[in-house]
Amino acid sequence: MQISKTSPKENTLLVGFPSNGLVGTFTISYLVHYLEMKLIGEIEHPDLPPTLFVEDGEILPPIRIYKKNNLFVVLSDLPFDPFVAYDFAESILDYCKKNQIKKIIIISGMETINRNPKPPKIFGLVTHQSLEKLLYDYGVPKFLSGSIFGTDAAMITAFRKSKIPALILYAECHPFFPDPEASIVAITTLARVLEIKVDTNDIQKRIEWLRIQHRNLMEETIRSLQQQQQEKKPGKAPQIYR
Amino acid sequence: MVTNKNEFKIRIFPPTISSLLNDDIDHQILSPLSCLREFETNWLLEFDLPLVNKKDIKITFDENMISVEAKLKETYAEEKLGVTTKFEYFKKTLFLPGKINSKKASAKFTKGRLIITIPKMISGQKIKIE
Repeated sequence: MQISKTSPKENTLLVGFPSNGLVGTFTISYLVHYLEMKLIGEIEHPDLPPTLFVEDGEILPPIRIYKKNNLFVVLSDLPFDPFVAYDFAESILDYCKKNQIKKIIIISGMETINRNPKPPKIFGLVTHQSLEKLLYDYGVPKFLSGSIFGTDAAMITAFRKSKIPALILYAECHPFFPDPEASIVAITTLARVLEIKVDTNDIQKRIEWLRIQHRNLMEETIRSLQQQQQEKKPGKAPQIYR
Repeated sequence: MVTNKNEFKIRIFPPTISSLLNDDIDHQILSPLSCLREFETNWLLEFDLPLVNKKDIKITFDENMISVEAKLKETYAEEKLGVTTKFEYFKKTLFLPGKINSKKASAKFTKGRLIITIPKMISGQKIKIE
């Protein structure tokens, strides 16, 4: 995986990619839009399907790097298969080392099938003890037990072995449908952790439209997640032994 | 506080050829996302129906086939390659893999999500344990 441009030395990197409820994609996209962050680079991988987006005549790659002051963002509009997920995680780690990123924050969704109509909760998981205090200071309950797979797991695996700490914010969400409501909780929590003000009115007004617009991306993401889950399983044992 | 007057956008991922979503442009019908889960005694079928009011949903059964139709409360428009396509309805038909008791089915609609619970029809011959 190749990063085409680098950016100046700074400290915090936010990462969002399609996962449960598309929480990471909605959250990071909204922040990039709201903070009017500048596109500074892109990530390429030969195994990704050749995809480009055209917006007002401008060609946009599917995995983009943005920057504003001390804040960096890596945002993917493509879900990853298991092999690309590991490469993606390694390339993010490499990017962090080259740009002296002090910590990274990953936003993702936590599968909660029977989510009741109450506002979704958010939980935090840290790879290094140095970030434990951050959870306490900003009132983010700790993710205590559960299993993680897919790109989230690849990212956590890469960073927990490195010197760069990662905070993963998991918002409760519907696993099979786009869940912009869960991303609003993630945006609010992220704003608190970053100590910035973010008005969520714009995304709140568009919740229902976003759910319709992102049906295809949700469908592709579920396929990738299922593929990653299959990949994780060891060779099939006879039914009796499982 | 930073303000941004542009509308918030996320790029729309192009569906693969094998996409399960079959929007019917001619009839202005969107295909909703749905998921089916099997439990010991029932099926749980869920449809994502944003922009819909409860009174505008119609659910019909025919043997083990279930159909959900809903009128949108406002026209949904999508622009691709400079062409605007408008949609007025959601519609989807699914087949359940097994006998169902449609008379005892129940449905709940909350925050644009329709959940239909359909009991399984349990029938068969008992086997005596010697």
